[in-house]
Amino acid sequence: MKPDVDQILGLSAQQLMTQIAPQLPAGYSQSTAGLLGIMLGFCAQEFDRAAEIRVAENRDLRELFSELAPLISDAPLKAKLKAAALSADPSLKISDLNTANCDLRRLLIALQSCVEDIAGDAARAAERRIWGILLASAERRLLKLPGT
Amino acid sequence: MSDDISARLAAYLAPKLGAASVEVSDLARIAGGASRETYRFRARYTQDGNILDRALILRRDPVASLIDTDRTTEFRAYQAFHKLGLPVPEPIALELGTGALDRPFFIMEEIEHCSVASILTPDPYGAHREKIGRQFFTTLGQIAKADPDSIGLSNFDGAREASWLHEVQRWEREIDEDEREPQPIARAAIRWLKRNPPPRAQKLSVVHGDYRTGNFLYDADGTIRAILDWEMAHLGDPLEDLGWALDPLWSHGDPSHPAGLVSRERAIAIWEQASGLKADPKALHWWEIFASLKGAAIWISAAREYSDMRNADPVNCFSGWFCLAFHNKVLVEKLSVEAAP
Repeated sequence: MKPDVDQILGLSAQQLMTQIAPQLPAGYSQSTAGLLGIMLGFCAQEFDRAAEIRVAENRDLRELFSELAPLISDAPLKAKLKAAALSADPSLKISDLNTANCDLRRLLIALQSCVEDIAGDAARAAERRIWGILLASAERRLLKLPGT
Repeated sequence: MSDDISARLAAYLAPKLGAASVEVSDLARIAGGASRETYRFRARYTQDGNILDRALILRRDPVASLIDTDRTTEFRAYQAFHKLGLPVPEPIALELGTGALDRPFFIMEEIEHCSVASILTPDPYGAHREKIGRQFFTTLGQIAKADPDSIGLSNFDGAREASWLHEVQRWEREIDEDEREPQPIARAAIRWLKRNPPPRAQKLSVVHGDYRTGNFLYDADGTIRAILDWEMAHLGDPLEDLGWALDPLWSHGDPSHPAGLVSRERAIAIWEQASGLKADPKALHWWEIFASLKGAAIWISAAREYSDMRNADPVNCFSGWFCLAFHNKVLVEKLSVEAAP
């Protein structure tokens, strides 16, 4: 059985950082090689989780739009939210998920900005709901440094 | 290539150093951020009958820069604060033309036998934490205390009134120009910053613009020998630098000890004593949120530079990926508290 991609990346990162970089002259070359090792380590982390992060975030955003659309009085924005809530990811390719994610995040900015201008408890609760989605997104996308 | 630069550097430096000829040796590129290419070298020459052998630093513009910074600003800041007696390398020459080394550059002395901390190192300062922390926040206070007019920097970029808005708008423009994908967290932060202006600045100061761990050199005795990277220096609210220095990205994993040095409370107290200013908690809170937004803007620009292959230095990739994810989390944590009932 061939090695898994994240294992290839992780081991390459380790070899670059611990075996190759120390052999290079101190200075730019050495620090650059070390940083490239860290990048490979990030790629190893991302390989396994990339699709899950995007699928989960896109699902969360569609649910949010469905939930908050009734609060919005701006007709064009309300229509966009309803349409987006019914949309689906075209495939599990990262590029397709990213394209859908960008469209949804663009709409999220418009929604959050609109909600901030609405008075009342329902709008404040909606704001908190949005921040909850953003927090989950930010946490999912954090990266671990080597050794942490 | 390095032989070519050495020969051209030697030819350039001779008249600048008042020498008949200069011998340049040991030219080597070192890590020094993505906004300038940084090289160390030695210059040997005769002056007034004495043979001098100096360690110098060349900071040359890259083909593309992480952020559009002005090397004249950086050079003038080095001049002003070196003259003021702060730990700053002596600037030697500034060249804005492209004839000498193809791109603009400047040269300054190298502070030798020192260390610079990587933000990836958990505890770079060890037993010298307290000593370095005291100097770090004292020097920042001294920068805040300096009068821009009397040190010749009164025409630096920045706004004399409402500098907060000038700065928010500056970094908003960076995001507008460089974002590759929508940034809901950064956009929410910009709206919050504009809706909740900070109290009026106590004074107009020179703001270093990137005062943090990793941008100073310290020796084996735990003495700070050089504050570096003044390329984002400008005029503004002195709390801007304090907010940036306190940012958790620079805390080496322990946000209760900003910059991986002294406790937050002690850091602020040292700064207040050295600057003669007050770090009003409400104002500082605003500037700390601003700091994380500014960080996000810089990392968004870094990601753009890398993705467009204008500057493939991996530090841009690291910044645009790890640092942006980090600051997005920090901003959400701070701003979601603001939205709490």
